[in-house]
Amino acid sequence: MKRILPFAIIAIVLGAGLLMARHFQRTSSETPTASPDASPGASKSSASPALADATNSKEPGAEPPHAQGDATAPVTLEEFGDFECPPCGMLHPILKQLQAEFGPTKLRLIFREFPLVPTHAHALAAARAAEAAGLQGKFWEMHDMIYEHQKDWHESFDVRPIFEGYATKIGLDVEQFRRDITNEIVERRIFLDGKRAHSLGVSGTPTVFMNGREVPFESLAPDKLKPLIANELAAHP
Amino acid sequence: MADNQVQPTSPGRATLLYAIAALVSLVGLADSIYLTVEHLSGRSVRCTIVSGCSEVLSSPYATVRGYPLAAVGAFAYFAVFSLATLAAFGYRSLGKLLAAIVGAMFLTTLWLLYLQAFVIRHFCQFCLLSALVTTTLTILVFFAVRPKN
Repeated sequence: MKRILPFAIIAIVLGAGLLMARHFQRTSSETPTASPDASPGASKSSASPALADATNSKEPGAEPPHAQGDATAPVTLEEFGDFECPPCGMLHPILKQLQAEFGPTKLRLIFREFPLVPTHAHALAAARAAEAAGLQGKFWEMHDMIYEHQKDWHESFDVRPIFEGYATKIGLDVEQFRRDITNEIVERRIFLDGKRAHSLGVSGTPTVFMNGREVPFESLAPDKLKPLIANELAAHP
Repeated sequence: MADNQVQPTSPGRATLLYAIAALVSLVGLADSIYLTVEHLSGRSVRCTIVSGCSEVLSSPYATVRGYPLAAVGAFAYFAVFSLATLAAFGYRSLGKLLAAIVGAMFLTTLWLLYLQAFVIRHFCQFCLLSALVTTTLTILVFFAVRPKN
């Protein structure tokens, strides 16, 4: 009996762990933001080969996209972002630095709205604010302002006055901005970017595609993304 | 009797330390399974003591080759639980393997604490609990495998 007892204990604990895993599978499939990638056998960052070089044949997203850098740049990063997600906020300065280092002739950045609702309570309001600023030609100014002050607003109860303050700071017509937040064009742009995200299998943020191939999530760390872009530039001089 | 054969469970100090280590590892196992579940289900983990759970758990450092680091931790804690249980029941030679795994976990913990403090600049209470568990395991296993003289 003593020979069997430790193995029985281990088996019981293993069984409990497997029950947890089953619970996870059920929870995962019931979560709206989860995708087939978020299963135990796969992961978000294991980029699906099916996605490689296939982004052009998917939903186009809002047109024209919010883009910085030349359309002829050899490397295009397409980011699906949520203004309230902390890693998106952490990625923001990294991308800014890479844009400065590589320059607009080599690196193009496209931003797509992918607010994770209801995980992030203010993500949709932030996306609307950025798109509303875009209607006055200042999307990127608002984009930067929202990301750079993410910690200031993401735990606030009402973010509207905060975003209106940002609108004032970047020189928008605030009355127009207030009206545009509920503008149909703003809603449609967010909807179309979301459609593109779903067509590409995007399940979380930030998700970045480099020339149509998904960049693994862990490669978005500053010391890994730069060499990836450099390699891509070397492949497409 | 060879070391790797089953020996009668003794009420000795090492047996007690291994048994405590097995119980402590269950805390780490539960913690890491919880974090794995939350990570893979895409939900935000809310901290109640410190405020950096979301920042830490959704950072690029929270995954290893696409798999949640918490899942790797769960496997490690399960390995520690199994080995400590077997060692407590007389499989004393497994103590060295247990010490090696716990040592690696302790070094990983130090690295993760460094990342939280200086790179991510946020702390996650569940990660701090795991660090406390691993440190406790390190002390317990160190004294359990230490030669008497």
